[in-house]
Amino acid sequence: MGALREGNTLKDLLKQPDSKLIDKGHPLMNWAETIVQALKNWNTSLIAYVPDISIHEVTRLIDNDPFFHLVSATREEEAIGIAVGAHAVGRNAAVFMQSSGFGNSINAVASLCVPYRTPIPMFINMRGGPGEFNIAQVPMGRATKPILDQFGLVHFTFDDDHRMDERLDGALKLCHAGRQPVAICLTKLLHGGKVA
Amino acid sequence: MLRFEATQLILKYAGDRPIVANLGPTTDELWHAQHRDRNFYTYGNMGLCSSLALGMAVSTDEQVISLDGDGSLLMNLGAIATIGREQPKNLIVVVWDNEKWDQTGHQPSHTAMGTDLEKVAQSCSIAHTATVTDLEELETVFRTALEGDGPWFIVAKTESSGPMPVSPIEPEMTLYRFRNSFIS
Repeated sequence: MGALREGNTLKDLLKQPDSKLIDKGHPLMNWAETIVQALKNWNTSLIAYVPDISIHEVTRLIDNDPFFHLVSATREEEAIGIAVGAHAVGRNAAVFMQSSGFGNSINAVASLCVPYRTPIPMFINMRGGPGEFNIAQVPMGRATKPILDQFGLVHFTFDDDHRMDERLDGALKLCHAGRQPVAICLTKLLHGGKVA
Repeated sequence: MLRFEATQLILKYAGDRPIVANLGPTTDELWHAQHRDRNFYTYGNMGLCSSLALGMAVSTDEQVISLDGDGSLLMNLGAIATIGREQPKNLIVVVWDNEKWDQTGHQPSHTAMGTDLEKVAQSCSIAHTATVTDLEELETVFRTALEGDGPWFIVAKTESSGPMPVSPIEPEMTLYRFRNSFIS
């Protein structure tokens, strides 16, 4: 999905999340394809996740691509453990979850990723922001970034796909250079989000 | 069977295979039984021992051994379901089941009150399972597991081995040593 541009309302964009947008005459990948390409560029082939409809577009691409091994976990802390296990034997790994699921994974991040120094990119679908329809999603959504800050973990927010490939590449490079998890926060403005 | 003797038995046959140890006494006893680069010691993250081992198993062709505990695994029973879903042929989960939370005051765990972890594994489509109560049985089953395809899920009824000095708590070095043995 592209950023808002002249003649393109947010509503229009949300209706066509799979559309390929044209910018400056060059075909662009949509946000989901951009994430897949960034993971490939960083040879990140083990993906552990808990399913989430708002980012299903990207996990579906991953599931259908033989480059990846997508492991479906029952809970987000389990996904963190699986990803760290992959890293421990030399395979780059990432996790996908919702902000509520980040809440489920907090102690795994705190007691495993941080002290062991594991570069696990965490793709987090952010609930509780503008457009949220469910009050139960608001507290954890609001608390996600402050908790990351308390751990000293870097987070980047993607509200649109402007220079997304460069920003993602930089986030993943920082993740590996710092040997710590980096959170890549994906918002409703980027992916369209879950609607009531 | 004493857990420390059972740990020594696992090491006797493990060769150079990676071993992930549950936090607390399991990690301490693995360190004291034989410190080696391919021991992945854990110090927190209770419940994630076998999840770590699963992530390793789907990322290497080598056999991976998880030394889990009943209290920890009860905290993350979903791990068994995910192992059953993934069916990694190279994963052997051994659960030291002393039927209590030994570190927190010897309170009886759910396995003392009827929960059967082997049956949980069976119901999660793990075909190779066993419950063993002495060293001889553990030796027979573990050697069988090493020789064939898994995943294996072995519940070993153990008794605590008594206090043992805490092993060095060095997570970053643990990961560095362990990972280097795979990538160097």
